[in-house]
Amino acid sequence: METQSFWEATTPHRPEFPALDGNIDVDVAIIGGGITGITTALQLTNAGKKVAVLEARRVGGGTTGWSTGNLYVPVGFYLHNIARSRNQEVASTVARARYAALDYIEQQTREKNIDCHFSRRPWYFFTQEDNMVSTVEKEVETLQKAGLRADLVNDVPPLHLPELKRAAKMDGQARFHPLRYVLGLATAVAQQGCQIYEHTTVLDLKEKEDHCLLVTSHGVVTCRQVVIATHIPIGIHSVQTVAAPYRSYVVAMRLKSGAYPDAYFWHNDKTHHAITTHSSTSMELDMLMIAGNHHKTGQASHQEYQHYFNELEAYARKHFDVASVEFRWSAQHYRSGDGVPYIGLTHKSAKRTYIATGFYADGLTYGTIAGIQLADMITGRGNSWIGAFDATRGTNLATAGSFIKENLNVAAQYLKDFPVGKASHFSDIKAGEGKTIEVDAEKLAVYRDEQNQLHVCSAVCTHMKCIVNFNNAEKTWDCPCHGSRFMLDGSVIEGPAILNLERKQVDPQTEHLINTGGHTSGEREINNPIT
Amino acid sequence: MEIIYASIGFFALAALLGMYLLTFVLRGKETPKAIVFTHGPMAVIGVVLLIIYILKGGPNPWESLVLFALAAVGGVYMLYRDLTGRPIPKALAVGHGLLAVCGFVLLLVFAFS
Ligand SMILES: Cc1cc2nc3c(=O)[nH]c(=O)nc-3n(C[C@H](O)[C@H](O)[C@H](O)COP(=O)(O)OP(=O)(O)OC[C@H]3O[C@@H](n4cnc5c(N)ncnc54)[C@H](O)[C@@H]3O)c2cc1C
Repeated sequence: METQSFWEATTPHRPEFPALDGNIDVDVAIIGGGITGITTALQLTNAGKKVAVLEARRVGGGTTGWSTGNLYVPVGFYLHNIARSRNQEVASTVARARYAALDYIEQQTREKNIDCHFSRRPWYFFTQEDNMVSTVEKEVETLQKAGLRADLVNDVPPLHLPELKRAAKMDGQARFHPLRYVLGLATAVAQQGCQIYEHTTVLDLKEKEDHCLLVTSHGVVTCRQVVIATHIPIGIHSVQTVAAPYRSYVVAMRLKSGAYPDAYFWHNDKTHHAITTHSSTSMELDMLMIAGNHHKTGQASHQEYQHYFNELEAYARKHFDVASVEFRWSAQHYRSGDGVPYIGLTHKSAKRTYIATGFYADGLTYGTIAGIQLADMITGRGNSWIGAFDATRGTNLATAGSFIKENLNVAAQYLKDFPVGKASHFSDIKAGEGKTIEVDAEKLAVYRDEQNQLHVCSAVCTHMKCIVNFNNAEKTWDCPCHGSRFMLDGSVIEGPAILNLERKQVDPQTEHLINTGGHTSGEREINNPIT
Repeated sequence: MEIIYASIGFFALAALLGMYLLTFVLRGKETPKAIVFTHGPMAVIGVVLLIIYILKGGPNPWESLVLFALAAVGGVYMLYRDLTGRPIPKALAVGHGLLAVCGFVLLLVFAFS
């Protein structure tokens, strides 16, 4: 079964935005048209700024359109862990900011009449294991300390699970269709005068004394401020040493009974599963989704990526009367060292460049927070969240462990780039299979399609030169170091890489590379910007 | 005196890996990063051992240390260029190697004469 996002499949009318054509001058340029970029654009346009959004692919087509559409105050890292890694005040600020973001999204859907199935409903958090009991209790306590209503409960009514050890409930959370929401916002903000450009990749950016310069695939953008809303900053950025990339999986199914529970559930035992329900066309619930099974991008422990989907499906079949599996997809999230996203000026010395990243899989709400906060920072309005999310805060003692772990992991990936021990014949690669092989002292990412055609690119990631690995569920090349992902033809899908993998030609008779007279490896017209 | 022999051992390993890396740079190929990230630390350990030896006092091969330090600066700069996607100037790679070889020869002369 091919991977496809439910949200993409259930968005019939997608507004088209043009590609940039020539050079422009604006107050603020926003790179990335996901929920973060579009919310920022809306806030800034409302504040009277001249804004341009530059989106490499389609608006909402990044992680926003491949998420699971839940809006909730609690966070995957757990608020009580934030209270420990930072302090209770930061945890409370994060919780209250998320609460405010939820209200903001509801207000936008009402004001702009966006048909995105927004609906309030409870969040349940439960466990069937003794050693998770205190986690549930501490999360409720931290929410209560933040002044929010959350309760320990004895039952999770729609599921009625046996051997429930502890459960919590928070009312007033919500679901929505994230792609329809973002497209609705984008349409509205474009009508207000914001310029939105699709199919426009930002290739380079520079902060100068009194302006910023962005080189795109279709022209140069001069602006006073720039917001990098690309989920993880593009190019090379120190935050990439802490914001580690993870993939997680989603399976969407129909139920025989049609009894879709109207709530969002976290079932966190040794393994974590998120259970949610959504609607395809009307407000009526008609789809059950199970999400979970994350692993570091490009570092799947199972050779067959299908395993991750199969496990989610098996979980669903154990707990629900599944009629059919309709969609399967996976998407990427980026963590942060201390569990709090990085939102704000990119470096201590930066004056004009802003980032927003490290959202975990909670970024529909965090992206909204980022949009509100960054606009407030740029327009000089005060915002009480700035300190908590400060992007320049670096690593503290409590997070040094995870910093070291993530970076040793990256070092280990580099050490796998050994010049021996790789399959080195194209004939070793079966139809439908992808492998990295070494030919003429070059690492190649080779895929053989069902028609026996070879698709050959350099296997060297254009971000920081790790060797990409094949993802056989999505037929992509995934970089195990910083999470850049590429299509079979080498074009960038997501992650910090800006440039496509270099395409290579091979002589099928001799199995040697054909010298195309192009760049030798490592030589490119555009270098990675240090953002 | 053992320390200086250990230092020579690490420099010798670093030199072998360095020559191998040079073959990639001169052909305009991507350097295998496992070798890059082994070559550098080997050389760093060699330098640290050499510094420890020099700090112990007595006659010492300080000229070697200066040459290795210069080579190290070149090495770090090449690594920076490599990982950020900039081409490695071939002359720089050769120069880095020559500095290190000179340092190594002086070290051998010091240790074995
Ligand atoms: C499986 C999964 C489920 C999730 N479910 C939820 C959920 O239920 N609730 C929740 O709150 N969060 C959820 N999240 C997290 C959430 O989806 C993301 O954090 C959020 O969508 C990030 O939004 P964004 O706008 O920052 O990034 P994106 O939506 O990824 O947008 C970034 C955009 O930048 C563009 N871009 C990249 N490079 C360039 C360039 N060089 N030039 C121009 N444009 C560029 C991309 O094309 C992309 O469109 C989930 C995440 C995963 C992985």
